[in-house]
Amino acid sequence: MNPLSYEDHFYLKDSDLRKILDMALSRGGDFAEIFLEHRTFSLINMEEDIIKDTSESISLGLGIRVNSGEKTGYAYTNDIAIEKINRASLTAASIAAGGPAQRSLPLSSAPLPHNYYQVIDPAHKSSLQDKISLVRRTYEAAYSFDPKIKKVKASLVDYIQNVRIINSEGLDRTDGRPLIKLVCLAVAEHANKREGGYCGGGGRVGLEYFRDVLTPEEIGQGAAEESLHLLEAVLPPAGEMPVVLAPGHSGVLIHEAVGHLLEADFNRKKTSIFWDKMGTRVGRPSLTIYDDPTLQGFRGSYNMDDEGTTPQKTPLIVNGKLVGLLQDRLSSRLMGLPVTGHGRRQDYTCIPIPRMSNTFIDKGEYDPGEIIKSVNKGFYALKYQGGQVEDSGKFTFSVSSGFLIEDGHLTSPVKQATLIGTNIDILKKIVKVGADLQFGFQTGTCGKEGQAVPVTDGCPTLKIAQMTVGGQT
Amino acid sequence: MTKAKASQLIALGEHLVSKGLSLGADEVEVSILEGTEFSVDVRMGQIETLLEAGSRGLSLRVIKDQKTAHASSSDLDRTQLEYLIRNAVRRAELASRDECAGLPQLEKKHIESSSLLLYDPEIPLLDPKDKIALALETERIGLSDKRITNSHGATLETRAMRTFLINSSGFRRDYEETFCSLGLGLQAGDTDNKVEGSWSSAKRHFSSLETPEKIASTCIERTVRQLHPKKIRTQIAPVIFEPPMTSWLMGFLCLCVSGTAIYQRASFLADKLGKKVAGEEIFVSDDGLMPGMLGTAPFDSEGVPSQKTEIIEGGILKNYLCNTYAAKKLKVRATGNADGSGIGPHNLYLHKGTDSPDTIISTLDKGLILIRTIGYGLNPINGDISRGAFGLWVEKGEIIYPVSEITISGNLGQILRAIEMIGNDLEFRSPIAGPTIKISGLTLAGA
Repeated sequence: MNPLSYEDHFYLKDSDLRKILDMALSRGGDFAEIFLEHRTFSLINMEEDIIKDTSESISLGLGIRVNSGEKTGYAYTNDIAIEKINRASLTAASIAAGGPAQRSLPLSSAPLPHNYYQVIDPAHKSSLQDKISLVRRTYEAAYSFDPKIKKVKASLVDYIQNVRIINSEGLDRTDGRPLIKLVCLAVAEHANKREGGYCGGGGRVGLEYFRDVLTPEEIGQGAAEESLHLLEAVLPPAGEMPVVLAPGHSGVLIHEAVGHLLEADFNRKKTSIFWDKMGTRVGRPSLTIYDDPTLQGFRGSYNMDDEGTTPQKTPLIVNGKLVGLLQDRLSSRLMGLPVTGHGRRQDYTCIPIPRMSNTFIDKGEYDPGEIIKSVNKGFYALKYQGGQVEDSGKFTFSVSSGFLIEDGHLTSPVKQATLIGTNIDILKKIVKVGADLQFGFQTGTCGKEGQAVPVTDGCPTLKIAQMTVGGQT
Repeated sequence: MTKAKASQLIALGEHLVSKGLSLGADEVEVSILEGTEFSVDVRMGQIETLLEAGSRGLSLRVIKDQKTAHASSSDLDRTQLEYLIRNAVRRAELASRDECAGLPQLEKKHIESSSLLLYDPEIPLLDPKDKIALALETERIGLSDKRITNSHGATLETRAMRTFLINSSGFRRDYEETFCSLGLGLQAGDTDNKVEGSWSSAKRHFSSLETPEKIASTCIERTVRQLHPKKIRTQIAPVIFEPPMTSWLMGFLCLCVSGTAIYQRASFLADKLGKKVAGEEIFVSDDGLMPGMLGTAPFDSEGVPSQKTEIIEGGILKNYLCNTYAAKKLKVRATGNADGSGIGPHNLYLHKGTDSPDTIISTLDKGLILIRTIGYGLNPINGDISRGAFGLWVEKGEIIYPVSEITISGNLGQILRAIEMIGNDLEFRSPIAGPTIKISGLTLAGA
């Protein structure tokens, strides 16, 4: 489909937009913003040896936000008739108590300073046949890997999200964000046991990624290998023990245990356990954690956040000391701290809130092999289903596959374990940080307050001195 | 919604159905959803966010030579939609032939949506000021308890929507429905010893929402009872599931009896139809026809009339939940559980037993009352469960202290056979529900 300009979709001139902003400020609000979005989305599904379904979606709408002190008024519409937009504007305006009307500043548009998307062959302009071929190759690689593989599902999803943000301070910015992911689920069966394996890749990249970085064959085989690995796996021992986290996928621990509780809104509201610990030491000197929305081609990256702010690589913990928060405009203003470009939203139906992008523990100095050797009896966590944290700092994450560590060696494969802990406790127990920083699959999505956004996370091999592992007694 | 507007949307759907047929599709299905929503978040006695919106969306499915394609759009511009349907027919040609593809046959049975009490005319007329006041009042009561140290705020939401479904087999119906909810989240304890809890009430009718007093007092109780938790040593012990935890377990069962998971062999209950999968006293049903309930609807997203489906009867697995496609795959009848391109429950519940929750607790010599879990750790492929857990430790029938930082692990197949007692406290707080239950033994991992 031809990418249309916003004017074509919304029939709105700059002068109309200024009028809408002024209307949004007519009750005395101190900030108004219009978020315009047009997204086209495509999906291809293959299972049972056939291309079962394809899907195409168009999402078009706009959201109007008004701030008045700590309060936010929000209204959205996907009916782009001017009377509907005006009504949305007045609805959002009503959050302000009725002070003197404010005026918006003239719009000044400027191109974004950086391009973090790495696209040669854009998915949304590629032929359906080319995309189907990637899905088929993935499927066949998994299915033909071993006769024990009984079911395979492969799918490709991609979108292009065109966003324009204008606000009453005169900001006028646009961003066209591509995103693609190719994933495979394989189910292996043998001797009355049934296990699933998963693998995938993608990012803010073009189809060339599946030629140059990660091939469909590697994705299909990866899923098949995991399901076969799990057929051999035993349930983990239960109790407290040393845990070694594999590089890459284990980044979910940092995402859950640390990242969420350093989102500024939880600290402004003092619901996060970290709110009174800024500037204090929370980990050993070898521990440094960043959130970086500027990694080239990464799934969590963006050229501007969903408030039009230029994103920055943001240090959260440096040499064990808590130094930073992930900020959006509202929290940064109320806390008197600089914005970091982490105000994100799922789509035009949602208000922006502080979110992670690509979160990782920076590399340390230990050789990963040495780290495993240092454990006499423990657990090695390799791949994960996901995790969850609450503001009190208690978190869990679900390990889909791993190994036992016995006498400094990885031995039996292990499935379905849960790791649980409290973040301030675990941060202190990260006793060794490996030199092998890696990132997990470029397929992850993070949920907060009902909003899903694409993210990645990463870490080097880590040793946690002691952690509760849930399994069998 | 005005009559004129409704007939405009029906006309749009009919236009697209005939457009699709004229472009060469064998079958076309169009569904349109139009609705309004309101929500207010209040925190520390102030409005935090106020949201009001109207939205609509259209989705369509075309089938040509047993090949399927889907499309959807929030832009209802005719030119745009005609472009989408043309593209969908073209894409269908590139998909593979699938003998199970197709729309359901038109059924004579028709359920009058008015008899299902899905719509509360009061909801669209509520004054935003009253709704804000209700949220503020709920939080105020929550914060008035001295043991409460912080608030996640209270939220009141209302929604009204109308669903239209039009297809080339002659189906042409619509229904209106409303939802409302009021919820609160609280914290107790100082910064390094925080515990948190939440409680909410969700209904279709505004007048049946729980009062701010009820929601706040329940939330306070559920928060403070977790203060000063202990870890327990790793062991196997009997576990009592509170009703929200039984609902959570039934939610996992729901994934495992979805016809899609069955034909994909992604469920441990594949090939188990007619077999014993649970104790004799276990009855699980899905009922789409219970008047006024959250999961009730006259028909599913393909137009198949809702029904009551017995899933487990006396421990025997009786039925899977199926849309038309999964039903053809499994050579059974569709159960009216199509939900978009997937399968979803209506009101799915574990039937109640005869014991009061207090009686059940009094039988616990040493064990855990499970009150909350966090994390993922559900694997439908083999039924394995492994989650972070919060609970209350019981000895000799008395609660003695709260427990945190433990995990529970087990297997749904085994749990269904290990349900020793079933409570009489079934309440439909969400589309998936269940009473208090007692499980003979689960692994608890602690220190």
